[in-house]
Amino acid sequence: CSDDKYERLNEDPKNPESVPAGFLFSNATKSLSDQNANLNVNTNIFRFISQYLTATTYLDEPNYELRERNIPQNHWSILYRNVLRDLKDAKETVLENEDLLTQEEVDARIAQITVIEVYTWQFLVDTFGDIPYSEALAKDNYLPKYDNAAGIYEDLIMQLIAINSDFAGQGFSSQDLIYGGDMAKWQKFSNSLLLRLGARLINVNATLANDAIQAATTNGVMTSNDDNALFTYLDSPPNTNPIWEDVIQSGRNDYVAANTIVDYMNTLNDPRRMAYFDDNVSGYIGGTYGAESPYGSHTHLSDKMTDPSHPGILMDYAEVEFLLAQAAAEGVGGVSNAASHYENGITASITYWTGDSSLAAAYLAQPGVSYNAANWKELVGKQFWIAMFDNPMQGWYVWRKLNNPTLNTAAQSGNPVPLRYTYPINEQNLNAANYEAGSAAIGGDDQQTPLFWDED
Amino acid sequence: QEKTVTGTVTDETGMPLPGVNVLIEGTTQGTQTDFDGNYSISASSESTLVFSYVGMVTTKKMVGSKSTIDVIMKADASELDEVVVTALGIEREKKSLGYATQEVSGNEVSDVPQSNFVNSLQGKVAGLQVNPSGTMGGSSNTVIRGNASLTGNNQALYVIDGIIIDNSNNNTTDQQGGRGGYDYGNAATDINPEDIASINVLKGAAATALYGSRAANGAIIIETKKGQKRKGIGVSVSSTVMVSEVNDETLPEYQKEYGAGYGPYYSDRIGTDVNGDAIYWEDQPGSQPWDPYFTNVDSNGNGVYNTLYTPFTEDASYGAAFNPNIMVNQWNSIYPSLPTFGQATPWLPGKNDPNSIWETGMTTINSFALDGGSDTGTFRLSVTNFDQEGVLPNSKIKRNTIKFSGQQDLTEKFKAGATFNYVKTDGKGRYGTGYDSENPMQQFRQWWQTNVDLKEQKEAYLLTRQNITWNPRSRTDLRPIYSDNPYWTRYENYQTDNRHRYFGNFNLNYELNDVFSVLGRFTFDTYNEIREERRNVGSSGVSGYSKYLNTQSEYNYDIILSFNKDLNDDLNLEGIAGWNLRRQDWNSISQSTNGGLRVPGLYALSNTVSNLLAPTEYEATKMVDGLYARASLGYLNTYFIEGTLRRDRSSSLPADNNSYYYPSISTSILLSNIIEEDWLSFAKFRANYAEVSNDTDPQRIIQTLALLDPFGEAAVASNVNLLRNPDLKPERLKAYEFGLEANFLKNRLGFDVTYYNNTTEDLITPVSISNATGFSSTIRNAGSLENKGFEVQMRLNPIKMEDFSWNMTVNWARNRSEVISLEEGLDNLPLASLQGGITIDASPGQPYGAIRGTDYIYNENGQRVVGSNGYYLTTDSNNNIIGNIQPDWTGGIQNTFKYKNLSLGFLIDVQKGGDIFSLDTWYGYATGLYKNTTGLNDLGNPLRDPVTNGADSGGLILPGVTEDGQPNTTRASFNTYANPYGYARAANKDHVYDASFVKLREVNLTYRFNDNLLEKTFINTASISLIGRNLWIIDKNIPFSDPEAGLSSGNVQGYQSGAYPAVREFGASLKLTF
Repeated sequence: CSDDKYERLNEDPKNPESVPAGFLFSNATKSLSDQNANLNVNTNIFRFISQYLTATTYLDEPNYELRERNIPQNHWSILYRNVLRDLKDAKETVLENEDLLTQEEVDARIAQITVIEVYTWQFLVDTFGDIPYSEALAKDNYLPKYDNAAGIYEDLIMQLIAINSDFAGQGFSSQDLIYGGDMAKWQKFSNSLLLRLGARLINVNATLANDAIQAATTNGVMTSNDDNALFTYLDSPPNTNPIWEDVIQSGRNDYVAANTIVDYMNTLNDPRRMAYFDDNVSGYIGGTYGAESPYGSHTHLSDKMTDPSHPGILMDYAEVEFLLAQAAAEGVGGVSNAASHYENGITASITYWTGDSSLAAAYLAQPGVSYNAANWKELVGKQFWIAMFDNPMQGWYVWRKLNNPTLNTAAQSGNPVPLRYTYPINEQNLNAANYEAGSAAIGGDDQQTPLFWDED
Repeated sequence: QEKTVTGTVTDETGMPLPGVNVLIEGTTQGTQTDFDGNYSISASSESTLVFSYVGMVTTKKMVGSKSTIDVIMKADASELDEVVVTALGIEREKKSLGYATQEVSGNEVSDVPQSNFVNSLQGKVAGLQVNPSGTMGGSSNTVIRGNASLTGNNQALYVIDGIIIDNSNNNTTDQQGGRGGYDYGNAATDINPEDIASINVLKGAAATALYGSRAANGAIIIETKKGQKRKGIGVSVSSTVMVSEVNDETLPEYQKEYGAGYGPYYSDRIGTDVNGDAIYWEDQPGSQPWDPYFTNVDSNGNGVYNTLYTPFTEDASYGAAFNPNIMVNQWNSIYPSLPTFGQATPWLPGKNDPNSIWETGMTTINSFALDGGSDTGTFRLSVTNFDQEGVLPNSKIKRNTIKFSGQQDLTEKFKAGATFNYVKTDGKGRYGTGYDSENPMQQFRQWWQTNVDLKEQKEAYLLTRQNITWNPRSRTDLRPIYSDNPYWTRYENYQTDNRHRYFGNFNLNYELNDVFSVLGRFTFDTYNEIREERRNVGSSGVSGYSKYLNTQSEYNYDIILSFNKDLNDDLNLEGIAGWNLRRQDWNSISQSTNGGLRVPGLYALSNTVSNLLAPTEYEATKMVDGLYARASLGYLNTYFIEGTLRRDRSSSLPADNNSYYYPSISTSILLSNIIEEDWLSFAKFRANYAEVSNDTDPQRIIQTLALLDPFGEAAVASNVNLLRNPDLKPERLKAYEFGLEANFLKNRLGFDVTYYNNTTEDLITPVSISNATGFSSTIRNAGSLENKGFEVQMRLNPIKMEDFSWNMTVNWARNRSEVISLEEGLDNLPLASLQGGITIDASPGQPYGAIRGTDYIYNENGQRVVGSNGYYLTTDSNNNIIGNIQPDWTGGIQNTFKYKNLSLGFLIDVQKGGDIFSLDTWYGYATGLYKNTTGLNDLGNPLRDPVTNGADSGGLILPGVTEDGQPNTTRASFNTYANPYGYARAANKDHVYDASFVKLREVNLTYRFNDNLLEKTFINTASISLIGRNLWIIDKNIPFSDPEAGLSSGNVQGYQSGAYPAVREFGASLKLTF
């Protein structure tokens, strides 16, 4: 036989060697949203760490045991492998431009990809601190070095500022599972992300924080719930919201509301309780955070939260307003009027969850809610955190950055709330030298090592 | 014309030989010499008499016109002329071989038949390690001389009648990694032991070099029974019945002191009254004192809380102490369909613990064979029916085998032969494995409430045919939460499988002249199988049905030119040159329902809740063509040297690097021809060196993407986790070996010792890489691995008398493996990341299969450090080496005693060392199932009592030192699942056990009926045997389980999760020939 015939046997008749960029873009977006929404204890415990939920019987994860189930590794792998790798290939495919798009169309697609990329990189940095960045995602370097987290932030900010002019053409549309190709909304999402990045840097890198927030507000951030970056799931597997999989489909009773959030919301008589939670017990009773909490006697997640098509929130208008309130209170980026941003944030959240903006007014009038500049950190912290119930990574940010609200120590272990995830075990094994250097650079691979933007 | 022939048989010194077998060639008619060496037999003048006797050379005499035939038998230098089957099915004189081989006779694997014949080799071959995984019909790992590959196939190659047999297990990676699924057995189980005539194990690379890349792991060469040239048709029948029972020593011992729960977690505040005020337990009229282990419920809504319920969702036994005076509504009180509905029962341990699930298994094997022959041809036709019922309910395997072999001399020089095998296997209810609800051992060993009576669970299922589990979500929501009723699992969530397998060969052999002959051969092995897995509606997981279809085939075409020429009186040259073309095809598809089943109990793909997703398909072909040659030179029939060379071209490697060569050279010297001494019957020295190259699986060169299920209208595709490598090159094995074999004292004592060293380099290995690359792993030529060791066989014949003899064979092997290196920058290669947080690894400087996980923290004196809370401190990192799967040595001792017609054989099988991690005790010691989680502490108080500062304190002072070096005096609490023994507080290290064992593997007591008894009947020979297997574990160190139990064949060994107990088998067999 000829060598040719031999070589052809290496081709896989069942799998493609290349696909249109949009296929990969869709997958990356879905993988990102899945990971953001997920509450599977093998993958993601942000809903525990932010103390929105606690576990009924198996208490290792709410007590911040990360190793047993390799949680950091799964989080890391999903974001690098299922999101960033596909985005990188999608970008290369767009740039090859075999579909002969106009330059504007190419730019728009690259801009959409960049937004999701930046989102994901920040997600990783905010979880771990220093991470492989400049040398990551290379097919010929299996030992990528760890880059300084602050440096990565700077680069992400520059990228978002640079793409603001690239949303004029038509980007991915049917393959865009967030906005269906509405480029104006993509531009707002991009600038809202820029605001998210900038706000982290307040009191850490004043210049860059200022520049980023200013650029974001100038170029236009989200202005209503219509602009929310939502990922709308479908009714049937495998395209459902991952919450449905783990709470309903699995048939397990692993989660109840944590007393941390339930107690705060009970005190404030918060109207969002009926949207967040089920009325399975009389009143709302949260399980003591980190302790055994029988399923039957504690508050469950609402039907809304556990619907298969419940949307995943990548970023919403409420978050934008709270970030602006934070910037205004700190006097950064030329943002002013913290009170009205604070109130807008609460109103946006209540409207989104209950569909009834009138409930917001009464709520805002309460003494424990109404804005008070002297006490802004506690108020903004608590309200921002309550609003981030379904975007728990951001809830964790709020607590770390604003040191509010007060969270409980985990009942069983007595462990404090983690300030970061420890690095994946397989980084210790597979990328040891860089792992050691990265750990040393942040001050030790420990749950209690603060991130560079975590002020104290 | 029959006549009576008589004579005397003596040895070379003239001493009469009693008990010599005298047989008419080609028949089963025969007799034995008496005490004076005399015999008498009726034979025709055309027939030939065959005289055989242990330790003597078999002698043949034509009858002709003689009526008296005296025979002088020579001491056996049997090795001198012994012929064994070597690589490519070529018969060679054993004396000329410069490498180790070890033979096992057909009887040794068929006398005590196994459903997986591979298991019959346990303990019988030095250096062959056979590890069954422990389920009915499950796979067995067969490794010769250690693992040569890092992550590739390390299984020995099976060759039957020259046909290379696929031996993959096709188990899912989830199954092999302990995540659940069924062990469908390794494909060599299709080999029928009843048809085996002999097995020759080729251990080293030099022995197998002509197979090329495939035999880097050694080869097991099987020859089947052939027809005899004889008068009439020979008929043989055998029938075996065996019953099986689990061995209690490999089961958990349950504690009987405490029932359901994880700890004292229930509040004394049990509800809220109409005014919103708290209701406290102790205020309830007529209620027992507050008990934090139960829920107290107002069951009829009258405002009185006085009904205790088991904490149903807590799948542990860390709850309330048993007390017959406490009445509790247990699981059987909450199902309206049960007669016990609404009835509280005393709080007592279940009368029948989970060990009552085991049933008596039964195996029957019936075999029937015909054989016959003429001057120019022979044939044999056999049919075997194998039928097994396992020890779990609703489990069985049936296998039917039909085999034909025939040979015909077309002319004097032109011969044709063929064999054809058809094997059909049907399995139903194979045991679920690993950490999965389909494996009942997951609840029985890890998550169980000791108050549950398993027999009541059985009756509840049989009565209702519903999933009435002890583990519902609550007293009002009766759906299962984690564990199903185990009988529901066995009867509703069963799998089925069937496989049709065809293999055979066709060959033509033409003798060109005295020197040359040419062989053309075609062999094939092909099978198709269906696997169906079910989970009924009502189970704890999502219901579903999946179907897997797989077709696999291999075809080999060989043309071999052989030559054999005496160059002069002293010098002989023989050898072969050949060409081989191999083609392998794989084609599989699997499909599952999506989101559950709509109609309960209907297992069809159309019965899906959501739309079906695309099936998973795999299709690949591999071609390898090889040219090979061997030449052997013999001088004075004493000095032998041979060389082989093979070149392969494989389609699985990049085109510019797909051809590779490998040579071998070996030599043997018959020392007994040089040192002629009476006490030395035979001696041979041998040495060899070989290099073998290896290719890889298809489709590892070109990167592809995966099309995923569309999201609505949007197409979705993703990178795959494995980064392909276009720069692969062949991997390489270099091996050398020395051996000495010798027999003494007329062959009554013999040994065979081998030292070998195998180094593999450039191993083609999927290597895990930092996931920051965007991939999980890539394929590289990474690393080097060394295996070296000794193999020893000894044969002893301590007693040899007329009526009584004792033979003993000892096998012993020690393999030392070391991972020499991995690719630069990589200091560890996880072979598997397993639940419990451990990995099984290849780590440089360590033997293959290091177990890594958390360890305790030790002070400089090696004492464990105890924290201020009284618990041991454990490492943060999971990187500590806490064990290794490799045994120190393995061995077997076979004894055979013969007294007249009675023979007794037994085999003791030993493994020393090797470690195993138990996920079963990791979880089970926390959930408090096992006996050792109860008992008294140093103060004589129950361990599980709360820790106080007084004399009534429970808890345990763990031996060790505090962080400042003082002896620990702090009592660790033992009163919840977070005790110091289980997963919540222990280090992985505590759950690594020594896998050593000594087992009585086989026993066989056989009575052979006297010929004179059978003379008047139509029966030629008859024997009856009592047989037993795995009857006794003489010694082991792992508690509550069988050290051999595992998950599957493959590289993930040394891990137990939901392990099955060892099974004893005993029975009887009858063999007749007509």
